Amino acid sequence: MSEPVVECIQVRKTYQQEAVPVYALRGVDIQIHQGDFASLSGPSGSGKSTLLNMIGGLDRPDEGEVIVAGTQLSGLSESELAHLRLHKIGFVFQAYNLIPVLSALENVEFILQLQGVGGIQRRQRAQQALESLGLADMAGRRPGELSGGQQQRVAIARAIVTNPALLLADEPTANLDSGTTEELLTLLKHLNQQQGMTIVTATHDPMVMQFTSRRVKLLDGAIAHDEQPVTA
Amino acid sequence: MKLVLQLSLRNILRNRRRNIMLFAAIAVAVAGVSSMNTLIRGFQMDMMDSAVANLTGHYKVHAPGYRDDPSIQRSFQLTQDFTPDFPAADVLGWAPRVRIPAVIMSERETRGVQLVGVDPQAEAISFLGDVPLQGEPLRDVDDGRVLIGKELARQLETRIGRRLVIITQGADGLNRERGFRIAGIYDAEGTGLEKVFVFSGLRPLQDLLDSDAVTEVSVRLVDEAPGLQVRNVLTELFIDLDVKDWQELEPQAAAMYLFADGAIYIWFILMMSALTFGLVNTLVASVMERVKELGMLRALGMGKLLVVSQVVVESSIIMAIGVMVGLVGGYLIFLLISDGLDLSAFAEGVEMAGMSSVLIPVLQWSDFFLVAYLSLILGVLASLYPAWRAVKVDPLEAMRR
Repeated sequence: MSEPVVECIQVRKTYQQEAVPVYALRGVDIQIHQGDFASLSGPSGSGKSTLLNMIGGLDRPDEGEVIVAGTQLSGLSESELAHLRLHKIGFVFQAYNLIPVLSALENVEFILQLQGVGGIQRRQRAQQALESLGLADMAGRRPGELSGGQQQRVAIARAIVTNPALLLADEPTANLDSGTTEELLTLLKHLNQQQGMTIVTATHDPMVMQFTSRRVKLLDGAIAHDEQPVTA
Repeated sequence: MKLVLQLSLRNILRNRRRNIMLFAAIAVAVAGVSSMNTLIRGFQMDMMDSAVANLTGHYKVHAPGYRDDPSIQRSFQLTQDFTPDFPAADVLGWAPRVRIPAVIMSERETRGVQLVGVDPQAEAISFLGDVPLQGEPLRDVDDGRVLIGKELARQLETRIGRRLVIITQGADGLNRERGFRIAGIYDAEGTGLEKVFVFSGLRPLQDLLDSDAVTEVSVRLVDEAPGLQVRNVLTELFIDLDVKDWQELEPQAAAMYLFADGAIYIWFILMMSALTFGLVNTLVASVMERVKELGMLRALGMGKLLVVSQVVVESSIIMAIGVMVGLVGGYLIFLLISDGLDLSAFAEGVEMAGMSSVLIPVLQWSDFFLVAYLSLILGVLASLYPAWRAVKVDPLEAMRR
């Protein structure tokens, strides 16, 4: 088996909620390998979003270790974490989180600008990413002029345009209708199967779980099941 | 940088109405400050010109002790062919004078005055050179008539052609008196000069005092800047005499002159500080409205420096646009009032301040640049707190909103 893209070793996280400790993660061990399409599911408070945030370097564990693309996150400063997120991880958020003052193309270009990619190459790559998601005609529109599904596809284009080692999606279909959800999941599956992109998504949605090749269920901050069905 | 500029500009356009109000507030403040500066400079220049033209000049030579006890005993000799070797381009002219206290009497009234013996041709350097005059000017250094001020003429209840008796102390310490006919009455715009100075030809006055000395030599420069060189020439020429500049001779005017420099900064700080609070408030509101977006940017990997830069550039752009519009407004106001503001309604007050009754604004581009420069610094400073708030945004917290 290949080197894991993500490795969590005994990851623990406790939050204080009005002086009452809430155990969000209780010693989670998990490895995500290159080409995995994994869903993290479980009821609210099970720790799936917390685990996703740990993997994305947005949160730090109280104990344990998170290693992403060979980099141990615990020793990194905030700016080093930001650098890792920028270059190794693509994010898709529940609420799309596009920049409202930029067009679809500029939103995709934006992440390449942060990486310091030059103007012509940047524009070409952004256009290609939008085209691959069927959004070539929408390039000049701002988020407010796009439907929810279109906005989420722009968000995916933004996430994949940098060819990240890992794509993290937090409830990516929560705001979408079933038709659009299916379209989006087909797209993610295509990215996973055709481009070998490693995808981890936190979800409540059974439809999302059906599309994933690996289903990890969390309960009370620990992994309850970790199954990899033969067919998705 | 292009990215930061792009985001900042788009964010400014996002809240057009709010930012237009902000631009307008900055522009009005800057226009007010810059046009007020032209008036302060006008006041400053007018005060300096008045002080210098007030028989003071930029430099003056006296015998030691003359300023404490102005009399013909404290005088000095000038050679017949005395011509100081000044750098020609720097000096407008120089004038020898006898200036002593005297008592002047008409048929009806008596007043104490400063009696000044002058070379009328040399007095182009003082207010006497261009003061409006009724009657005739003094012809030359031998003219034995007098010029008196309009206010003094009113107080003495006299007029052109009438004789006045002047009593003063001669070189031997004895009182001398002589009758002088009034050649002309000058109008110094109601300033105190009219009450104080009585002018006569230099030689008749020296004859009256039984002396061929002068009590002062006044030098007027083209521009104050190269004054030190002229002072050195005077110091070498008049060893053992006092060489003083106008600021030493007119300390009150000098203090007001310096105060005007300070007033420009004080006025700027007062106006722009109030405005800066508004700018900070607007920027903080703008940042707080975008907390979720800033959190997302940080989550995607935008560095803190870029977040700070975005807010700083946004503030600087707002300030720069406001300042540019404001400076144009300030310039237009300057053009509008360039003929001067009539302060004759406050004649007594402005006279006390040593100013003329019409305040002519003076435009110094350096003041405009100063306002622009300081405003942009304020713009950057105003953005620091909002930028700090933006950087403190926790991506996770922000995106949960």
